[in-house]
Amino acid sequence: MTTPACFAPLLAKTGEAVQLAMQRLWLGGQVLPAGARITVEHVFRSAEARPLEVIYSFPLPRDAALRRFRITGEGFEAHSELRQTEAAVKAYEEGLAQGSLSTLARQYGDGLINLTVGNIRPGEDVTVHLELLAGVELRDDGFRFRFPFTLAPAYHPRARAAVVTPGEGEMELPGDEFGDVILPPFREDASALHQVGFELSVAGAPETDEVGSPSHAVRVKRESAGGSRVALAAEKDIPNRDLVLDVHYQQVAPKVLAGIGPDGKGHFAAIVPSTSFGGKTEAPRRLVILLDRSGSMQGAPITQAAKAIDACLAALAETDTFGLVAFADQAESCDTRLLPGTRENRQRAHGFLQAVKAYGGTELLLGFRKAVELLERGGGDVLILTDGQVAGTERILAEARAANTRLHCLGIGSASQDRFLALLARETGGVSRFVTPSERVDLPAVDLFASIGRPVASGLKAQGNIQPEPPVTVFSGTPVLLFGEEESAADSRIELSWDGGGALNLPLSFAGGDSGETVWLLQGARLITDWESRYPSVEALAPLEKRRQSRAGARLRDLSETYGLASREMSLVAVVKRAGDRTGDLPVTRVVPVGMPRDTRFDAYFHAPGKVTGAFAPCPPPLHSMASAPMAQSAPSAMPPSGRSLVSRLGAAIFRGNASSGHDEPALPSPSPTHDDELLALASAMDSDGGMPGKNPEARAAATVVVLFAFLAQGHTPSKGAFRSHVGRLLAFLQSLGGLPAPKQKLAEAALAAARKGKAPAGEWLALARTTGDHWSAIAQAMG
Amino acid sequence: MSEERTLAELADAAGIPARTIRFYISRGLLAGPAKAGRGAIYTAKHLERLEKIKALQAQGRLLSEIAPLLDGTESARPGYLSSAWWQHAIAEDVVVWTRADASPWRQKQIRDAVDELAARLRREE
Repeated sequence: MTTPACFAPLLAKTGEAVQLAMQRLWLGGQVLPAGARITVEHVFRSAEARPLEVIYSFPLPRDAALRRFRITGEGFEAHSELRQTEAAVKAYEEGLAQGSLSTLARQYGDGLINLTVGNIRPGEDVTVHLELLAGVELRDDGFRFRFPFTLAPAYHPRARAAVVTPGEGEMELPGDEFGDVILPPFREDASALHQVGFELSVAGAPETDEVGSPSHAVRVKRESAGGSRVALAAEKDIPNRDLVLDVHYQQVAPKVLAGIGPDGKGHFAAIVPSTSFGGKTEAPRRLVILLDRSGSMQGAPITQAAKAIDACLAALAETDTFGLVAFADQAESCDTRLLPGTRENRQRAHGFLQAVKAYGGTELLLGFRKAVELLERGGGDVLILTDGQVAGTERILAEARAANTRLHCLGIGSASQDRFLALLARETGGVSRFVTPSERVDLPAVDLFASIGRPVASGLKAQGNIQPEPPVTVFSGTPVLLFGEEESAADSRIELSWDGGGALNLPLSFAGGDSGETVWLLQGARLITDWESRYPSVEALAPLEKRRQSRAGARLRDLSETYGLASREMSLVAVVKRAGDRTGDLPVTRVVPVGMPRDTRFDAYFHAPGKVTGAFAPCPPPLHSMASAPMAQSAPSAMPPSGRSLVSRLGAAIFRGNASSGHDEPALPSPSPTHDDELLALASAMDSDGGMPGKNPEARAAATVVVLFAFLAQGHTPSKGAFRSHVGRLLAFLQSLGGLPAPKQKLAEAALAAARKGKAPAGEWLALARTTGDHWSAIAQAMG
Repeated sequence: MSEERTLAELADAAGIPARTIRFYISRGLLAGPAKAGRGAIYTAKHLERLEKIKALQAQGRLLSEIAPLLDGTESARPGYLSSAWWQHAIAEDVVVWTRADASPWRQKQIRDAVDELAARLRREE
């Protein structure tokens, strides 16, 4: 419900009323296990004396496409049309020139949307109800839905940014790559901006045992049909982070959503958990971990990521090899080649991580190239930990695809680059997870690490009309999502097969299913997203005649027309003719500001007054302004040797300077360690043979049993929990044990047998793991 | 071609979309039409100003920097307000000073340029 109070935000510091062109953004609709069909309500009000043209910019969620909008106001309601972008822009401009209320929803590169509403009359309220389809992040035991309530600034080497007024920054992207997209002003303090909120139905999941949000306080109400309604607990919120909704199932099992679509055919979406495919292979891992150390990762994200990398490396065997690369606008590697997973090499990696400071831009391609170089095209995986706040993602995706190296992504951030990182992983055959900074970063990293490197199935094939093609490789923890159609509505089967003779059949029934249209639209949104990612900006911005030669452009037009969804080739437009329209009145144009993502420091992107950030400033600084002058090179004799970049030498000095010029990372609070912290520390302490350290083989065996029981007691087994890789290695170590005195050997074997059942005997194992000394008596007591 | 143009004609002539031109007018970068209302017209001065804006953008200037530059209220030379500077001794007789608090992308541009200058000086030694 809206009240006059909702339309009168005040500046917290001064109490002055703020005039906002956009008052409210409200999210409604339905979230399904295969994606979401949502409507975003944008309420605009003009406080101008002249007609108003307002521009609101937002990023698309993952696998999303705009379907249509409805525009309403006093005495009118109109619906959008889907037209080729040139025609839509022309219709918008002609409508505007005639004084009519005109609305255009246009997509740009990176999945950015400009929603432009022109000729809102003074004092008038106009609401745009925008319908869109969006994907979800799938896990075997549930899914995560993200919706962007704000837009994060993103790094691009040619982007320009500055503080224009205190607490407000502006960013501009190069027109030759991004066209006429307009980015919003970014407010450090989002409290005086438009209000946001949501009420969503989580449908078709009677087995859902938990619905929650790590981003917002929510109210969850069970519905009789088996679904839930999830709403913002407070009356309203501010636009400084994404909405994140988590749904966890009680049981892991295949799910099929099916029904008859608008074309009369049977349409379905099938979610097949990785547990349906079999066990992991045991080939040695070849892995490069790529850590984003750009300025926007400052604080908890980089600290947690470094801890997680330590723990991940501890799960490696000596037969595994690894590389470690940190990148910002330069990329540094722990070594020039892959290293065996020995304790010494892990310590070396630890030392490397300790020296990493978050600073600079996000040249993801530099880091990626370095990782590929380390793998020497000999195959392997890259695990990247990043906030993904980069622009020009199509270029990065093109190079990543060409490198033929699997990339797995752990995204970190409260404003989503979820779309890009999901694409980056999927397009290279990897998997992705996205966490908010209010959650732990380290455990999802360890969990993702446990999933990758050793697939549960390869060479996956699906029979029938399945689009897009299923992933070739399946990793534990991540299900396979299939969209397909059947000519008839008769009962049928989905048939899957994979290397090694694996096969799976799922029954398919369209009778009584009501999801046909929705899964068909979700399939369209997914296909459009895939093709958008293959559409280089230089082609997308070319004149229509040239674009006709573009395969991606032609495919996008075809998909847009087939599914009735917008893309970069097709936009949504509506023109409402009203009594009293005045031809030729020039509206005043306002751009809706957004809040900085709450975990991203304003000064990580916006520095100094605008007048000092020109692109070319050849004059040296006057000497009197040099309050500090740290030397990058102390003497001419320290000239960079040939073959090594001066920049790489300057990098270290600039790190030091960063600390001295007031950009230190904020001190982290140091709360008491949780059980997960303790498990992480134990995981990091493991030796490369899978056992715990100790003064002799007997002490090592006892410590390993205690730590194994500590993991099991906290719910981590060889197949379940973030530390499943570590548990598997602890078990393998105990299994390989021999030569202990007979009573202890017998105890170790009994402990191994108990652990294989996935449960620890009663005992304070975590507390015991903290202590040193002879643990054999505690083990003997527990084993009876 | 007449020097008087509609907004659509001005957009075509300048190669800048009409929406962007309206945005510039609202920001005070460009004057409104010479004649408002029905049959609003834009003159050669509008086109000239748009060309200047494009040129300054091509140099990497932000819109917030361009308005005062065009109005002559601020020098084209940027101010230097930073309190911290880096000193890069790239040759025996050359030291380059750069701001320590520039934006990440600006830092990268600067360091690339310093690197290039150092390489060029080495080549010419």
